[in-house]
Amino acid sequence: MATLFHEPDAETISTSSMTAFTKHCENATVRRFPTWAALHSWSVEPTGRFWSELLAWSGALYEGNAEPVVQGAGVEAAQYFPGVRLSYTENLLAGGEPNAVAITACDETGRAEQLTWAQLSHRVSELAAGLRALGVEPGHRVVAVVRNAADSIVACLAATGLGATWSATAPDMGAGAILSRFEQLEPQWLVVHDQQRYGGQLVGLAPLITEVTAALPSLRAVITLGPTAIEGPSTRCYTAQDLVAMGIQGADDLLAGMWPRFAFDHPLFILFSSGTTGAPKCIVHGAGGTLLQHIKEHRLHTGLTPRDTLYFHTTTGWMMWNWLVSALAGGTHIVVYDGSVSSPTPDALVHLLAREGVTVFGTSPVYLQFLELSGVRPQEAADLSRLRLLLSTGAVLYPRHFDFVREHIGPLPVHSISGGTDIIGCFVLGNPNLPVYLGESPCVGLGFDVRVIVDGELRPAGVGELVCCAPFISRPVSFYGDPGRQRFHDAYFAENPGVWTHGDFIELTDRGTARILGRSDGILNIKGVRIGPAEIYTALHDVDEIRDAMALSAEDPKALGGRRLVLLVVPSGGDLERKAIWKIKRTLKERCSVNHVPERVICVADLPTTHSGKRSERAAQDTLDGRPVRNRDALRNPACLEAILTAYRSA
Amino acid sequence: MDRAGIRQLIIDWLDDNHHFGDAEDLITSDDISWIEHGILKSLAFVELILFLEDNCHVALPRAELTRENFDGMNKILRKLEESGARLG
Repeated sequence: MATLFHEPDAETISTSSMTAFTKHCENATVRRFPTWAALHSWSVEPTGRFWSELLAWSGALYEGNAEPVVQGAGVEAAQYFPGVRLSYTENLLAGGEPNAVAITACDETGRAEQLTWAQLSHRVSELAAGLRALGVEPGHRVVAVVRNAADSIVACLAATGLGATWSATAPDMGAGAILSRFEQLEPQWLVVHDQQRYGGQLVGLAPLITEVTAALPSLRAVITLGPTAIEGPSTRCYTAQDLVAMGIQGADDLLAGMWPRFAFDHPLFILFSSGTTGAPKCIVHGAGGTLLQHIKEHRLHTGLTPRDTLYFHTTTGWMMWNWLVSALAGGTHIVVYDGSVSSPTPDALVHLLAREGVTVFGTSPVYLQFLELSGVRPQEAADLSRLRLLLSTGAVLYPRHFDFVREHIGPLPVHSISGGTDIIGCFVLGNPNLPVYLGESPCVGLGFDVRVIVDGELRPAGVGELVCCAPFISRPVSFYGDPGRQRFHDAYFAENPGVWTHGDFIELTDRGTARILGRSDGILNIKGVRIGPAEIYTALHDVDEIRDAMALSAEDPKALGGRRLVLLVVPSGGDLERKAIWKIKRTLKERCSVNHVPERVICVADLPTTHSGKRSERAAQDTLDGRPVRNRDALRNPACLEAILTAYRSA
Repeated sequence: MDRAGIRQLIIDWLDDNHHFGDAEDLITSDDISWIEHGILKSLAFVELILFLEDNCHVALPRAELTRENFDGMNKILRKLEESGARLG
C-alpha cells in the first residue's frame, strides 16, 4: 500500500507550467488530455508531435523547418528535427533579463562570484572570440579539468558556442582515469584550473595538468582559467585573459549575440561512462536533443521559472553539471559550489542554501544520510523558508530519506529523479501536478516510453529491467571513435533487440509511479558515484600480488548510500597480506579516485566465468544481493558462487 | 576503557580505509586537528563514528558530533571515554 507523502494544492496545479503546456497542446492538436496518463501516452506517439509542440511552446531559438519532427524508424536510428539549426549557447544566454543574476558561484570561503545575464553574455562572447582567434573550430574537441566555478561555465558556453564539443572531468580524478577518457577524443584544446580548494586545503593542480598534457599529443594549447598560465606543460599555454585580448578585434558578431547555428544533432557534449570491460564509452550528445530534453525536465517536470534559484550538488564531471547549466535556458538563476559539502562545518551547504535563497535543491541520498548521521538539522541550522522543492538522484532514495526531509528540512515535495549519463537526462521525474508517494518517483518523463522486462516479457508495470521502447530525443548521437556504431549498438540494443536497455532495475506501478532499484549491468553505484569496474581492473593490472579481481557492491544500510564497494581478488599465491591489500587500495586511489577504493577486499579461489571465457560480474552480484543468478547455466564454474558468498559473510 | 586498544583500533581503521599504512606517521601528535592536517574529512568522520559505535559498544549522541568533540585523536578518545566505550 503506497503512502502519500505530498499532494499539490489546486493553485499549484492551476498555475504550473505543466498545466499551461497541456493546454497549449490541447489547443494545438484539438485533442483532450484530461489525465496525466493521456498526456504521457500522447507524448510517446511515433509522430513526435510532443517534441514539436515543446519546441514551439518553449520559445527556443532556432531556424529552419521543424518538419519532419522525426525521421528514421526505431529507437536506435530515429533522428529528430533534421531541418532545424540552433545554438545551445545562444539559447542559454538568451534565457534571462540582462540585469537579473544568472550565476552565483560559491566556494568554501563563501560567495566567490556573481554574474548577471548581461555579464555572462559578455564574458562568454569575448572568450569565444579569443578561442576563435586561437583556432577553435566546429567539431574540435575541447576537454577540461575544471572546478565547479563560474568561469568553467563561461568556457563551456564559449567553446560550444563555436561548435566545438565540451568534455570535462573534475580535478579530483587521477591522471590515469582522466587520460583513459581524453586520449580517446584526440582533443585539440585543454581547459584547466591551476588549483583547487577542498576540505579547507588548497591543492595545486600543475603536476596533474602536466602529466595529462604530456600524454595528449593532439593538443594545440592549454588554457588556464586563472590569472597566470600554468607552468610545466610543453604545449603552448594561455590564460583566458590572454585569449580575450587576442579576440577583441573580431568579437563584434559574438558580442552582438550572433552565434552560429548548427544542425540539431551537432555534437555538444561528450560524456563518459565506464563499464565492466574496455575503455570508458565516449557518449556524444547532440545540441538540440540536450536542450529540449532539459527544457522539458526543468520547466515541465521541475516547474523551474525565472523566479527560482536552483542548486544541484555536482562536479563538472557528472552529467548533472550539464543539466544544471542548461537551466539557464529557462531564465533560472543557478548556484554552483566548488568544495566539500561539510567544510568548514558539517552544515556548510545548508548555510549556502539559506544565504543564496535556493528554491530548488538537488542532492543525493548520501548527503541526506550524512546530515542525519552527523546530527545536522537543516531547519534548525538555517532559514530555508525559500526552499520549495527537493530533488534527489545518484542512488536509491528510501522512505527514511523522505521522512528526514519532512522532519528536518521542511514540508516539501521530494522528487526522486533518475536516468543518467547515457541519456543526459532522467527517465523518472517529478511533476508539480502529481502527488508524491513515499519512496517513489512521481512519474516517467514525458517523451519516454519506459517499460519493464519481466521474465522475458515486455510489460507496462512490474519489477524488472528498465527499457525504453520508443525513440527519445536525448538518445546519444553516437559514441566517439565508433564509426560502425557497433559499440553503441552493443551497449544499448544487443540484449533486447529493438528497445533501449538502460542497465537499471525498476519497479513501475499501476499508478504510473516508479522506483529505481539499482543497477542491473555490473556498473556500481557507491556513495552516489557511478563506478565502472573496468577502470579498477585496468588500474590493478600490474599489481603482482593478485592474479585476477572482480569489483562488486554489497548492500549495507549503515553505509553512506546504502552500498559498499567490495573487491574479490584471486591472489597470486596464498592469502593476501594486509600490506598487499593496502597496496591495492593505494593504487586505486592514486590511479582512479578515492571513490574507487574498496571498503572490503576478499580473497577467493575463483571468479565466475562463462563457458565462453568471460567473467560474469552479474552472477557474482546476484549472489551477493541474494537474487537468483540469472545466467547460472551459462557459467562453467557455478560452484564458485557459494564460495564467494561464504568468503564475503566470513570476512 | 582500554584507551590504547581503542587508539589502535582507530589507527587500523584509518590505515584500512584512508591512509593504507601511513596513519601513524601522519598523526604526529594525538592533539593535532585531523581536518587541518588532511587526515580525515567530514564525510569520513561520520563513517568512523559509525565504525566506533559498532566496535566499542557505544551510542554517541548526534548532537555531540561536532568538530570540537571529534577533530583529533585525543578528542575522540575523550568523547568515547565519557560515553562508556569498551572493546570486545
